[in-house]
Amino acid sequence: MTGRSGLKVAGEISLPTHALWERALARVVQQDGRAYHLELSAVTFVDLAGATALAVAAQNLDGGRRLVLDRPPTSLSRLLELFWPDLPGIEVAPA
Amino acid sequence: MRTVSITEPFDHPALFYRDEQEYLAGTVPFVRDALDAGDPVAVAVPGPNLALIRDELGERAAEVHLLDMTRAGRNPGRIIPRVLRAFADSHPGRRARIIGEPIWAGRTEAEYPACVQHEALINLAFQGREATILCPYDTTRLDASVLADAYVTHPTVIESGTQADSSAYAPEALVARYNQPLSTPLGAVSMVYTAGTLPAVRQQATRWAADLGLGEHRLDDFELAVAELTTNSVVHAGGEGTLRIWAEDQHVICEVHDSGLLDDPLAGRRLPPREQRGGRGLLLVNVVADLVRVHSTPALGTTTHVYFHR
Repeated sequence: MTGRSGLKVAGEISLPTHALWERALARVVQQDGRAYHLELSAVTFVDLAGATALAVAAQNLDGGRRLVLDRPPTSLSRLLELFWPDLPGIEVAPA
Repeated sequence: MRTVSITEPFDHPALFYRDEQEYLAGTVPFVRDALDAGDPVAVAVPGPNLALIRDELGERAAEVHLLDMTRAGRNPGRIIPRVLRAFADSHPGRRARIIGEPIWAGRTEAEYPACVQHEALINLAFQGREATILCPYDTTRLDASVLADAYVTHPTVIESGTQADSSAYAPEALVARYNQPLSTPLGAVSMVYTAGTLPAVRQQATRWAADLGLGEHRLDDFELAVAELTTNSVVHAGGEGTLRIWAEDQHVICEVHDSGLLDDPLAGRRLPPREQRGGRGLLLVNVVADLVRVHSTPALGTTTHVYFHR
């Protein structure tokens, strides 16, 4: 991840890993820069609480800043589509 | 006894119809009057009835939000949040007028209790709101017991063009009456889960669903629903539960049982604001599944059956 700020996440985001995910997101929203990349290609599953934490973090970003999701798992895309379509703070990177 | 505040702004009549002519006579003037008054109008009825109304409305059909209820409302548990409230809430400050036909002759025995509970819960979900929801019932093809239930779930009934109060109106009692035990076949595979085994159990359940013929495009939704129900047991209902899976006719069915009590009748039917953290778990299950049946008592805990069409 050179030349841009970001975080690479692997494994699944569910009850056993929620606390870790929440802490990571809390750090992410404090970063500078207009776009923050989350590289998610190695994430196998995201449950509703994990997607909610991401959606809430994105809504707390100020001044046009956004989270860019790189290759999110289908579970996360589906949850965002169902409950948070067109959230300005979230962008899915083109494949 | 029944008491209704004369200031209750919510109106929820059942419309009994015998044939196409009565159907159109009861629905199309309702739509036209609402459009003339400048009110937002939605029609969510089975496809053939939708076509009848659309044809009769002609050009004015373009002003109406039209939905095939057999798709949008396949699972009756999602009609309140995803059809009725979704439409009413998108027109704040105005009186939404909706025709909703959730019960048609093709509804199965497994679906019916969830359908009639939905009809009863509309009264609770819309209490105090400026809205009208008109529910057509096909008196030629529906059983007499279904029509008797419509008197219990609707404060007023329109029959042969005349609207009258229903003396049988008692929606809460009906919700309790259809809180019925659910049966599980002997051959169902079963797993007990706790916090430590949630991911493994969810993955295994999803593999079983695939083996039972659930299509690739439904497996993601199945996995999300299983994750939600099993995580609920662990976080809110005693820390453990039992999951069973089997196939029946056109469905893969997943049962989740735990010791919790589901005592909020509108759980899974509310729309939390998008910045709110919790409150979407059962809503998610309702949105992705084709049918959700629940039996919950203090003595036995909660059993949920989630149906996915395969």
